[in-house]
Amino acid sequence: MASNWLIFLAAGACVGVIVLGLIVFPLVRWRSRPGDGEPPQFANNYPLEIAWTVIPLLIVGGLFVATYGAEARVDALADHPAATVAVDAYRWGWTFAYRGGPTIGGASSGPASLGVGQAVPELVLPLGETTRIELSASDVDHGFWIPDFLFKRDAIPGQTTAFDLVPTKLGTFEGRCSAFCGLQHESMLFRVRVVTPSAFVNWEKAQE
Amino acid sequence: MSAAAMPALPEAAQRHNLLSWLTTTDHKRIGILYLLTSLAYFGVAGFLSLLIRTQLARPNSTFVNAHQYAQLFTLHGTAMIFLFVAPFAFGLGNFLIPLQIGAPDMAFPRLNATSYWLFLFGGLVIFLGAATNEGAAASGWTAYPPLSEIRVSTGLGQDLWIVGVFLVSVATIVTSINFVTTVFIFRAPGMTMWRIPIFTWEMVATSLLVFMAFPSLAATLLLLLVDRKLGGHAFDPAYGGSPVLWDHLFWFFGHPEVYVMILPYFGVISEIVPVFSRKPIFGYTGLVLAAFAIAGLSMGVWAHHMFTTGVVNNPFFAFVSFLIAVPTGVKFFNWIATMWRGSISFETPMLFTIGFLLNFLIGGITGVMLASPPIDYQAHDSYFVVAHFHYVLGGGSLFAIFAALFFWWPKMFGVKLDEALGRWCFGLLFVGFNLTFLPMHFMGVMGMPRRVFTYDAGGPLPMLNLIATVGSYVMLAGVSVFVMNAIVSARARIPVGDDPWHANSLEWWTSSPPPEHNFESLPPIRSERPVYDARVAKA
Repeated sequence: MASNWLIFLAAGACVGVIVLGLIVFPLVRWRSRPGDGEPPQFANNYPLEIAWTVIPLLIVGGLFVATYGAEARVDALADHPAATVAVDAYRWGWTFAYRGGPTIGGASSGPASLGVGQAVPELVLPLGETTRIELSASDVDHGFWIPDFLFKRDAIPGQTTAFDLVPTKLGTFEGRCSAFCGLQHESMLFRVRVVTPSAFVNWEKAQE
Repeated sequence: MSAAAMPALPEAAQRHNLLSWLTTTDHKRIGILYLLTSLAYFGVAGFLSLLIRTQLARPNSTFVNAHQYAQLFTLHGTAMIFLFVAPFAFGLGNFLIPLQIGAPDMAFPRLNATSYWLFLFGGLVIFLGAATNEGAAASGWTAYPPLSEIRVSTGLGQDLWIVGVFLVSVATIVTSINFVTTVFIFRAPGMTMWRIPIFTWEMVATSLLVFMAFPSLAATLLLLLVDRKLGGHAFDPAYGGSPVLWDHLFWFFGHPEVYVMILPYFGVISEIVPVFSRKPIFGYTGLVLAAFAIAGLSMGVWAHHMFTTGVVNNPFFAFVSFLIAVPTGVKFFNWIATMWRGSISFETPMLFTIGFLLNFLIGGITGVMLASPPIDYQAHDSYFVVAHFHYVLGGGSLFAIFAALFFWWPKMFGVKLDEALGRWCFGLLFVGFNLTFLPMHFMGVMGMPRRVFTYDAGGPLPMLNLIATVGSYVMLAGVSVFVMNAIVSARARIPVGDDPWHANSLEWWTSSPPPEHNFESLPPIRSERPVYDARVAKA
């Protein structure tokens, strides 16, 4: 979720710049000079120490609230998804079984990126509608990752995990395996094609 | 502990022939053996990383093949974590803890020697896999089953990896028992717990963490070995086993292990900053409490490595992970306050300390980002994570390791490392490190997964990867300058005296290097910096 990234980037940048300043300032201001006497030997300041414990606590508390809301939206499962796809990951390819529809699948092989027209399994999603993915793996751990969607989920043999995808952009996106699964891990690709809902219905019919 | 109570040993006993090194139970020699062995493993693991970076310099490179590449990153990660960063800290602890608390040796000297040899041979067993028919282990340092199960990873290399890491984990547990016992019962008169140096405190916290985390690793490794060799099915879903069980057991060890690899170095930084700021450490109590807060919290964050599995309570583990930022921040502010209004000089140990602060700051911020599950959904298993953990382990621990080498080298060997070469070493490592790992944040967000042996030839990935590869060779130059420094200074043989840095803790009271029984005499111990007190009393 992009807004969550921005919140953390902004908070991280603010804290980073302030702490960087606090590190660099004394290095410049109090660098030793010839003839320096012994500096003041203070070693405590309890109000200050309490402050720099409590303030970061408040910051991470705020970040947690933000992230909790964001995660709830990302992980939320719709009551009635428009389409449901059982995804199986295996060495080295993907199977996309649409409930009440076609099963698309095949081995991924070749270079580490999608070329035009390269034969890899294609996941077709309707724009703006919810597609439920039920993910599993049949041999070793894999990862279902669509970088442009800022999302991945592990595909683990022996269990099925469900999540919803609601694409917001038309187009073709690269999907890949994220968890190291052996010698062709880097070329275990799939293609995600987001089409309009009516085109999606037509596509499903054409597959039968 | 007066000189009369400890008669000087005959001269012959102090001669350093090979046999005396092989049979030694002296904590200082075992410490040095630990340090040199871990540095040798660092050399090997660093060489492997150069092969990795050479392969990735260009897209679609055929410098190594996919199977060789998988062995490279498996051995690189395993060696850096199990054979370098953690054991180096244990070597430092071996050398320093008895000296810092005014003790003549560790509580169990022979057990101490045992753990060194377990560590040495455990490491060799891991690498022995490379000599087998199917090569070394190739399922990553995390060895996730079913990938690491016998039906997928058929080679003997994976078994040797399990046995080797098991031996190292036993060595780690045994040494931790030794550390805690030594600190609790071997302190000199006057050395109360609230006067022991911060480094020793951090090693106590580290050891307690080892007690909780490493048995889980050892047991998990044996379960995998049972799966592979005796037909067990603990992690094999085809027979009702659970791969996620491995994730839990492994990361129950794995995340505390992250703090086993950083708490000792927080200790190193806490020793060096006061000396080069000419001030006492600020907030001693806060630093100690923060160490234990980090250690305690780190036992409750393991599943943040499993956010993307979809089977753990993400908000809980996110919250506890966020909390760790607080005691870590306390440490940063304590170090800054120690420098505040000081008289700061920039000898090489301090340069590496500053490098540590700057790099770890970045690693800490990306750590908080990764603790947010929606961010982790993109960054997990990508080069963003690779960048993050190299900033904390490379930019953090590795820089503290070099700070420690330059700081305690005079105490260990009686000669000082050259300052001019030291500055070159720091400059090359700092620039090289950031060139290598800063671009990886961007690669990860753009969608480059970790553990791939080639990548997309279009877009910005080739340029970013080339920069990273150039950076890794700049780091090689920095490490080479260090090796040169060690040789040059050993030849120059300029004696340094007992206390070249005007430091604070007891190891600087005795000679450089210390005699076998450590101390001829001890100063009165009335604070956490007895050597400073004695200097003031004398003036």
